[in-house]
Order: sequence, then structure tokens, then C-alpha cells
Amino acid sequence: MKETPDNTKTQLAALSAPALIFTIGMIAFPFFYTIWLSLEAFSATGTSHFAGIQNYRHMVNDGEFWHGLVVTFTLYLLSLALQLIAGTWLALLLFRSKRLPGIIRSLFISPFMMPPVVAGMMWLVILDPSLGAANYILTSLGLPPSDWLASPTWVIPTVALIDTWQWAPYVALIVLGGLQSLPPSVYEAAEIDGASPFKRLYRITLPLLMPTIMTATILRSVDLLRFFDIIYITTQGGPANASDTLNIYGFRVGFEFFQFGYASALMVTLSVIVLGAVLVLNRMRTAVAW
Amino acid sequence: MDDKTLSDRLIGVLNTLQLALAGLVVIVPTLWMVLSSFKQSYEVTAYPPTIFFTPTLSNYATLSQTTPFLHYGLNSIIVTVGSTLIGLILGTPAAFAVSWTRVTWPAVIALVARMAPGTLFLLPWYVMFRHFDMIGSYWSLILTHAVITMPIVIWVLLPFFDGIPRSVFEAAQVDGCSPVRLFRRIALPLVSTGLAVSSILAFVFSWNYFLFALVLSNSDPKTLIAASFNFIGEGSTNWGGLMAAATLIALPPLILAVIVQRWLISGLTLGAVKG
Repeated sequence: MKETPDNTKTQLAALSAPALIFTIGMIAFPFFYTIWLSLEAFSATGTSHFAGIQNYRHMVNDGEFWHGLVVTFTLYLLSLALQLIAGTWLALLLFRSKRLPGIIRSLFISPFMMPPVVAGMMWLVILDPSLGAANYILTSLGLPPSDWLASPTWVIPTVALIDTWQWAPYVALIVLGGLQSLPPSVYEAAEIDGASPFKRLYRITLPLLMPTIMTATILRSVDLLRFFDIIYITTQGGPANASDTLNIYGFRVGFEFFQFGYASALMVTLSVIVLGAVLVLNRMRTAVAW
Repeated sequence: MDDKTLSDRLIGVLNTLQLALAGLVVIVPTLWMVLSSFKQSYEVTAYPPTIFFTPTLSNYATLSQTTPFLHYGLNSIIVTVGSTLIGLILGTPAAFAVSWTRVTWPAVIALVARMAPGTLFLLPWYVMFRHFDMIGSYWSLILTHAVITMPIVIWVLLPFFDGIPRSVFEAAQVDGCSPVRLFRRIALPLVSTGLAVSSILAFVFSWNYFLFALVLSNSDPKTLIAASFNFIGEGSTNWGGLMAAATLIALPPLILAVIVQRWLISGLTLGAVKG
């Protein structure tokens, strides 16, 4: 260590200074500014004054907010379940087929690397109630057609399916990484004991995979709780308000109704929900670690 | 014993069949989008849908003639390349400093920025950019998209910097090499793969990001992603054009993703999973 420690420290600080300044200006300041906005009341003339928790009190009494919360969590839990099941299933298939040519890998990364907006445009055409290919396939098989995104009942499951098409392969590749890092000795021992393939899966593989599956769960939860792109492109929260997630509702309150104070309160609430979910899930991941 | 090999073979066949089915579900919708973009307008909305047809480029030609598609495309490239460069300039030295000092706050803040809903930042940004008269400038989009790219750069590069043996640093320090010199002369060349991977991932996520451009580039500089909403409005009468636009918008990230597929998963999971 010929360098004086002081100089080293200064230089290291200088290396992270640009990122720090950017973070303060573009992330930290806006973050606190939004919290402050959420405590303000705006008048029709554009002036504002401190109003304490008035916006939050309004939120608790706003039926649209509770509706948005229900929609957000329905979509979240449905999508997450579909993606974890389909993703783990796909990972087990990919793992057993041993060799994984690059072209197959490319095939499975293609859905989640395309913009969600493009996925929305694509499925909008495929799922068109009158001329879409999906209903043609259904009716050809003798099944009743569906209104998909245009149906208040089916819009949430349909959006969940679109998101699952996009992100189940992502979950699969994460779980595959977990499978590949499992010690082969546990399998050999189970095989010698004569455990059936199903028993091996439920008693050994899945429990050992739980930490990896929890990682995938956390990563997907962050995106799913903030669900926006596909809904905005396909339904904008409709039909009526059937797919109005909290993020979509907050966006509309802010940028269509221009209620800045109330929109900020909604967005702060959503951030707290996402952060809380990550903390809880992270604790669960520690609990299943081995 | 014969019995076992038979059932093994059966399981193998079932495995391949399921995999083929999954592959079809994944690829068919995308293929349908691309196919539709090459159909004549009367064929795109044909019912029952047609699979065999004479391909035409007319949708792509119409797209460039009737919409400012190329102009939007240029906007997208400027914003994406700009935000990727800013992300690299800010994130690379920060990742090096985190790896060296083990002071993790930049990484943690990057993670929180990744988790917060984008809508949380939009109102203050809007007020800030209006104050500095930057609404409608490239800079407003480049800076906001750097909020996406900088965390990606930090998290993708961190394991690459961590992978450099400490002895390399120590030896250089004994020779009187300062951290800044060490960073520029020794560490940077050693993480060239990481730099390539992080720039490509940053590019892809900046390109794909919808929300910021939706609000901040309402008129100009409109990016392709923000403009896709207009294509849908026109798309109700013109599916061919809509699918041509969708195909072109999806092409750059898909090509880049194939290049970095080896590092994709560890990059996307912020290093939590080795790909």
C-alpha cells in the first residue's frame, strides 16, 4: 500500500460520484417529491397547499382504489401461479433433454426479450373476437369462441395468459440454472433407494429447487404488481374498468384527470406494496434456503 | 432389464413431445405476427385465416410512406444509444467502486430504482423537465431511460469486476497505481465481455421501455414504442401495417438477445442465478 489511504478513498468516491449525483437528482429527489406531492391538495386553479393525509383518506374511501387493488392482486396471483407451474415444468423438460442447442435457447428467450408492447399488439390481433386466429382454432375444435380481452369476465385471465406466454420461459431458464447446480449425488442416492420418478420429483428435486423458485417469484412479483404495458396497449383498463390495475389507475388519475396529489398518494401506496412484498418474499426465500 | 430401457425410452419420447409442444406454443404467435406482416390487406383479416399466401412487402412500404416510422425509429435509436452510453458512463466506475470497497449502497439504490413503479417518478420528472424547458427534448428521454440502464450496468458488471483476482489489484497498488488508473488501465480491459453484455442488455431494456416515452414524448421526439399506440388506432382497419410495425420494433432486441444469450439469465436476475 504505497497510496495514502486518504487518496485512495477520495479516488474511489470520485469514481462513484457521477452515479451518486445522478441517483440523487433522478431517483431520490423525485421519490421524496412524490411523497410530498401526496400530502398536497391541488385546487382547480393549479395552486396547492399542504393537506396532510387528506389524499390517503380519500383513497381509503375510493371504491376505484379498492377495485384496483383487487384487480392487481387477482392478476398477480393468477399470473404468478401460471408462470411458476409452466416455467418449472418447462425447466424439468429442458433439463432432462440434456443437450440444449443454442437455437432452442434462442427460441425460449424470444418472448421475454421482445417489448411487452409488441406482445400486446400481437395478441390483440390473434385474440380479436370476430376475426382472430385464436377463436378460429377454438371453433374448429368445436369449442365456443371467447371475447378474450373484450370480455369483462375473461380479460384478467387473458392478460395473465399473455404475460405467462411472455415470462414462463424466463422462469424456466432461471429454474434450469437451479437444476444444473444441484449436486448429482442426491439423485444417485435416491435412485439406489429405488424411489420412483414422481417421488424423486416431489421429495427431492422440488424442495431443493425452492430457493431458485423463490428467486424467480421475487423477480416476477416486482413486475406483476406494477403491471402496466400490456394492459395499457390492449385494454387501457377496460372493458369498463375490469382490468384497471393500481398502476393503470394511478397513471390515469395523474395524466388523464390531472389530480397530481391523489395520483402521488396512489403511486406511493403501490411502491409500499411492491417493497413490502419483496421484503416478505425475501424472508420466505431465506426460510427455504438449504 | 429390457422393461426398464423400454420405459426409459418411452419417457424420453414423451419428454421430447412435451418439449416440442411447448416450443410450438412459444413460437407460433410470433410466427403468426411475422406472417401477417407479409400478407395483403384483404388476406390479413381473412376468416378463416390463411396460412399459404403470396408474400408482399406492401405493409412495410405503406408504413414508411403513411407514418413517420423512420423518423420515430431514429428517435428510438438516439434515445436508446444515448441512455445506454449514459448508463455505462455512470454505472461502470460505480460498479468498480462497489466491487473494490464492498460499500453496497449504489447497488442497493439501483435495486430499489428497479423495483419502484415508473409512475412514481413521472410526475416529479415532468415538473423538473418543464422547469428546465426540456419537455420534448431528447435529453428528457435519455436521462429518464438512464434510470433503467444504470442499474442494469451496475448489476451486470459487478460479478465481472468481482471475478478479477485481488492479487492483480494488490500488485498494481504496490507499484504505486492509483484506483483511477487501476480502473482505466487494468480493470476495464479485463471486463470487456461484461461491458459488451451490459451494454446490450441496457440497450434492450431501454428500447423496450414504454411508460416514460408515453408521457414525456407525447408529440416529439416520439419513440417507436410510444408511437405503437397510434399504430393500434390505425390498426383497427390495417392489421398488416400493425403487424409490420410490431415485427420491426421487436427485431433489434431479439437479435441482440440472441447474441448475449449465454449471459442473459445471470444478467436478468441481477446475478442471483448463474445462467
